[in-house]
This record gives sequence, C-alpha cells and structure tokens, in this order.
Amino acid sequence: MAIGPTIPFTAIPWDDALFVLLAGTMLASGLAVVLMRDIIRCGLAMMVCFGSLAGIYVMAGAPVVAAAQVLVYIGAISVLVLFAIMLTQTKLAPARMAFQTQAVPAAIAAVVLLVVVLLAVGSTTWGGGPDRGDTKTTDVATVLFGPFVLPFEVVGVLLLAAVIGGVFLAKRDRSAADRPE
Amino acid sequence: MIRVILGSVLAGAFIVGLGLIGLAAGGSRSLNAYLTLSGILFAIGMFGFLARRNAISMLMAIELMLNAVNLSIIGFASFDEKLGPSGSVIALLVMAVAAGEATVGLSIILAIYRNKKTPLVDEYDAMSQ
Repeated sequence: MAIGPTIPFTAIPWDDALFVLLAGTMLASGLAVVLMRDIIRCGLAMMVCFGSLAGIYVMAGAPVVAAAQVLVYIGAISVLVLFAIMLTQTKLAPARMAFQTQAVPAAIAAVVLLVVVLLAVGSTTWGGGPDRGDTKTTDVATVLFGPFVLPFEVVGVLLLAAVIGGVFLAKRDRSAADRPE
Repeated sequence: MIRVILGSVLAGAFIVGLGLIGLAAGGSRSLNAYLTLSGILFAIGMFGFLARRNAISMLMAIELMLNAVNLSIIGFASFDEKLGPSGSVIALLVMAVAAGEATVGLSIILAIYRNKKTPLVDEYDAMSQ
C-alpha cells in the first residue's frame, strides 16, 4: 500500500513534517545536554541528539553516514561517556553548581557566533544544484577504497594508537596503588 | 496525571517550535536549512564547552560541535554533485577521528580524577599555585 506525498487530509508534505520533528528533537536534546544539571541525564540526552541527527543524515541522502552515526556515536561513544560519568560521579556533584561563573559571557559569545554564522549562511549564494541527491553506497565504497585509501589507512593507525594510548592512560598504576595513602 | 499530559504537550510544542526554525530556513530541500541547524548546534556546543564545570560535560559539548561540523559536510555533499560521495567519506573519517579523541580524552579525565578526586575543571589548579 503506497502512501501519498502529503499527510492525508492535509497539505503538509511528509518530508517537511519529518524534518521539523527531527530538527526539533535534535535542537531540544542538544540544549538539554548543555543545560541540565544532572550529568547522567545529559549523557542520555546526547544519545537522543545523535539519533535524531542520524535521521537528518538519512533525509540529506547519506544513509551510510547515518548507519555509521548509529554504530559509532550511539553505540560506542555514548556508552564510553556514560561509563566515564559513572566512574567519576560523586554524590554531591549534582547538588553543587553546574556552571562556571563565566556562564553569562559564554552565552553572549555563543549567541554572537550564532548570529554571525546565520548571517553568513543567509547572505551567501552557494554553488551546486538546487536539488538534493542521494549518495549510493557503492559510490561511497569506490571513493573510500580508491582516492581516499591513504587517509583510510592512516585513520586505522590513528585508532590503534588511540586505543593503546587510552589503555595506557587509564591503567591503574600498580606501584602507586600499593602505596598507603 | 494531568501534569504529565500537560508536560508532554508543552514539550511537544517546544520541539515543534524549534523544528520550525529548520522549516523557516528552507525545509529539507534547501542547503540553508542544514547549514542553519549546523550553526545552531555548534553554538550550543560552544556554550556548553565554555560554561560547564564538569570535564565530561565539556567533552560532550565537544562531541556536539564535531557533529555540527559533520552535518554541514553532509549538507554540502548532498547539494553539490561535484563533491558527491566524497562528502560521505570525509564525514566517516571525521567520525573515526572523533572516536579516537573521545577515547583519549576520557582516559585523560579518568587519570586526572584518580589523582585529584574531582571531575570539576576549576579545581584543576596545580599550575596556578
């Protein structure tokens, strides 16, 4: 059964409605990440933000990147961040001040940056076609293992170095642990 | 019960209201909408990085900023046929580097936490004494 291009009984196109929902969820949960006091809820809101961003990637015609977003960000990085939160949380942390004393200047700086970016976006005529194109997975594979094969290998080495460095940094120092405090 | 319903309705209205920014910037068929969303997300992340006290909150804000940059890359790739699939490849490489950054950053925070017993960055003042 095929559904039409617009929501039934209204003139609203499906993709506009979906885009509004995904963009609103992304922005609201992004605000929740930086504004909520309880840090574990910030981590959970970050997962929601990444998920709706994956939906926006699908709407932009990049399904491979959306799948990688779900795997890497929701599956790996968010879990890593949640583990780090649970390892470093102290009981009185949420009760105390969540923001620095410089929060108001930081908000002003962020708003100024936002205005500058929006003015630049609005006043620039971007080249390229007016229509959005879908990216085929086979094209991505051809480009990734063709002209981009050297960056691909370098990223592999970088990830290996990051894993070894992370294990080395987070490893408990045996001699320091044995020493009485 | 009535408070739950009222809260859900208010939250839904807030989400739709925020989403209408994207529609006002051109909807899903224009590059300006993606770039506007990316700019807003980057500004949110920058505020979080500058204003939060917890080191892990700052890392989460950095992740938001990296995702904003990825969104603009994907937007350009889908509207410029010369960029095409290269944009997806660049976004994938950015994701891999972000994963490495998160690993090393979180392990540095854990190592500092083991010494200082606090995750708050304004108490890391060993070099200012």
